[in-house]
Amino acid sequence: MVAATKATGVDGQLFKRALLGSLSWLAANHEEVNRLNVFPVPDGDTGTNMLLTLQSAVEDVKESNAAEVSKIAKLASHGSLMGARGNSGVILSQIFRGFARAVEGKGSLTPAELAAAFEEAANAAYRAVNKPTEGTILTVAREAGRAASTAAGSPDANVPRVIAAAAAGARAAVLKTPGQLQILRDAGVVDAGGFGLQLILEGMLKSVEETEPLPATISEAKPHTTPASQVSLPLPEGGWGYCTEFLIEGTNLDVELIRNQIEALGNSVMVVGEPELVKVHVHTDDPTRVINLAGGYGKLMKLNVGDMSTQHRRILETEGGVTAGGPPRPNGVGLAVVVAGRGLVHIFRGLGVDAIIEGGQTMNPSTQDMLTAIESVPYDEVILLPNNGNVIPAAKQVMGLTKKKLHVIETHSVPQGVSAVVAFRPERAADENLRAMKVEAERVQTIEVTHAVRDTRSNGVRVKKGDVIGLINDRLEFAGSDYAEVVNKALGKLGPDSYELVTVYRGEQASDDEMKRLESEIRSSYPGLEVEVQQGGQQHYPFILSVE
Amino acid sequence: MSRSFAVVTDSTADLPNEWRDRYGIEVVPLKVLFGKETFRDRVDMTSDEFFTRLAASSSLPTTSAPSPGEFAEVYRRLAKDHDGCISIHIGARLSATAEAARVGAESVEGFKVNVIDSQSVSMPIAFLCRVAAESASLEEATTAVDLRVAKCRVLALLDTLRYLEMGGRLSRAQAMIGTMLDLKPLLLVSENAEIKPVDRVRTRSRAIPRMVEFFRSEEPVEQVAVMHAQAQEDAEGIAANLRAELPNQEITIGQIGCVLGTHTGPRALGIVYLKK
Repeated sequence: MVAATKATGVDGQLFKRALLGSLSWLAANHEEVNRLNVFPVPDGDTGTNMLLTLQSAVEDVKESNAAEVSKIAKLASHGSLMGARGNSGVILSQIFRGFARAVEGKGSLTPAELAAAFEEAANAAYRAVNKPTEGTILTVAREAGRAASTAAGSPDANVPRVIAAAAAGARAAVLKTPGQLQILRDAGVVDAGGFGLQLILEGMLKSVEETEPLPATISEAKPHTTPASQVSLPLPEGGWGYCTEFLIEGTNLDVELIRNQIEALGNSVMVVGEPELVKVHVHTDDPTRVINLAGGYGKLMKLNVGDMSTQHRRILETEGGVTAGGPPRPNGVGLAVVVAGRGLVHIFRGLGVDAIIEGGQTMNPSTQDMLTAIESVPYDEVILLPNNGNVIPAAKQVMGLTKKKLHVIETHSVPQGVSAVVAFRPERAADENLRAMKVEAERVQTIEVTHAVRDTRSNGVRVKKGDVIGLINDRLEFAGSDYAEVVNKALGKLGPDSYELVTVYRGEQASDDEMKRLESEIRSSYPGLEVEVQQGGQQHYPFILSVE
Repeated sequence: MSRSFAVVTDSTADLPNEWRDRYGIEVVPLKVLFGKETFRDRVDMTSDEFFTRLAASSSLPTTSAPSPGEFAEVYRRLAKDHDGCISIHIGARLSATAEAARVGAESVEGFKVNVIDSQSVSMPIAFLCRVAAESASLEEATTAVDLRVAKCRVLALLDTLRYLEMGGRLSRAQAMIGTMLDLKPLLLVSENAEIKPVDRVRTRSRAIPRMVEFFRSEEPVEQVAVMHAQAQEDAEGIAANLRAELPNQEITIGQIGCVLGTHTGPRALGIVYLKK
């Protein structure tokens, strides 16, 4: 505890060290967080989402030598916002945002100021959530802040003790979460997001306690299924040019001025940062001009230029080369959807969707992934369909980041997304389209069939790992050992007399025999229903059914 | 016959037999070919027979326009007891019929034939024929029909786009259906026989109210009919709906003929009208 006694205040570099420490601790333990997912479905994992969000928060921080805590906090806030994935990732980004606001203008924090910043971070997170629920990461953030404040009030308060109190407060709060939320009690787990936050605070504590600097390499988190989300778009004439990215390090950098100048040289422009460090992202035909311009402002770092036409073609080739259809839209409204699975990508493309952000069930795309896609749509007004409950929060964050007029329709499933897109009329104004699309999305019923990834109890249904489970509109309703049996029960529950068409999106892991059997079972059990089979190609969900 | 001029059309007008007899309208059939077998539309084969055969056939039938010679023969016959003729046909963009009529007319000397490209299809052509038949002279008829050509509309709900696509009349992308999903396209045939998609719906029961709703936005109309291919019950439902709204309007229910049926496929529905 040699360093601890030295750490009388939290300056920029100490806070940077704390953030790096939290990253390495979360990286080492995020699988533990993933295991706490309440829902037995293979869904966006909380630990992975939080880790990827934190990685993005720390990305620019790693490069900064700023001495002021306010500057490091601002970089972390911005980075986490751009990288926010999933529900817990978005809340984490709001925690960073609240912290950054609380320390604005400060070079170094006293223990009391640090505790106040923790509390303000929790308050900001509460404010950002529509209906705050106790027993979640929010409660944990608040209890951590309270514990920190209590510790800061004692006469021998110092920075490590305040952080230690925050971490201990978080831990105690995490242990109480099952008492606050029935679903956690049923599943016999603590709240995953709250536990993630506890790990972040513990990581901070470790880094301020240790005298030795942390190992230089931080293990990078890899999502365990699909590769990083890709954005595939129709290739415009003349190609996409080059995706050019770098940081400018300088003094008194005028972010606004740089942004304006870069905007003249390309599109999908993002220029963010602070007077000492600016991050630039642009799609341009002339990267040399961009680099020369930026080089005049300061030192360029992390320069990365990629030929997007090549990248794009490669993506399209692996996609099977779907061509997006149609003439320019009279209403000037673009469409972007989040979806995974080759067949589903084809289906959405064929319906006239402009940008597809790959992701969904297991790989939740980040705010940045969605922002990039939205920026690339050749229209100033865009409708975004997340098609997954866990993607909705990050999708909504994009609204505050793009200059385009963005609407997010909160579609929770692929069938909802398909129904919404089918209702889109190119000649109809945006508000009319939004109304019609929402109505259609709400009308369709979704049945999802997958295997339980853990033993649990959800919605009164007891399931064992590996069981076939059927969800109706995101609620676990049936468990069994057979796809057809579970689907038949689910259709029975919906009341097949009220519907006329079942569309089955066949997933990657469903065999021909399983498909045939399911189809004939539905036909014989419910002869009044039309059955249409489509190759969805989605992972983890052998069958997704749309009932309308 | 009291009228000095003749009225001619082709079988794609879906002219009801009752109108044909009442107004003395001459109908030249197009042909539908199942393999090597040729049938004259609505002469050798009724609409019901056609769809029964279509359902049993492994390959899709093809269609062909009447030859100029066939038109010339009709005009020559009519020249015996008429001063002239108005010949109203399926949109030249969709079929070679009007062109065949023009060429056929040229070969009949001393008989005036005003060939009209209706820019449309199905019963709007029948409406034009009736307007012509009720006119006092060929000039008056031609003027009255010319005025209405741009007002012909066919609002069609197809059960599947497959037949239209096979016939090369409309691609899936043009129909806003560049997807494998089996969507029900709602199409509008308007001026210049342009086919454009106005809606796409997932299920038939939802599509029918959408069609009626679109029709409402097109009112007022001068004439209207409901067309169907093997979907009498649906057509009657739509007609009853329209009658309740337009009590003073005559609303005919017509059957889609063999040639059009080749492109619409079974279970197609249409609301066809002349805009005011």
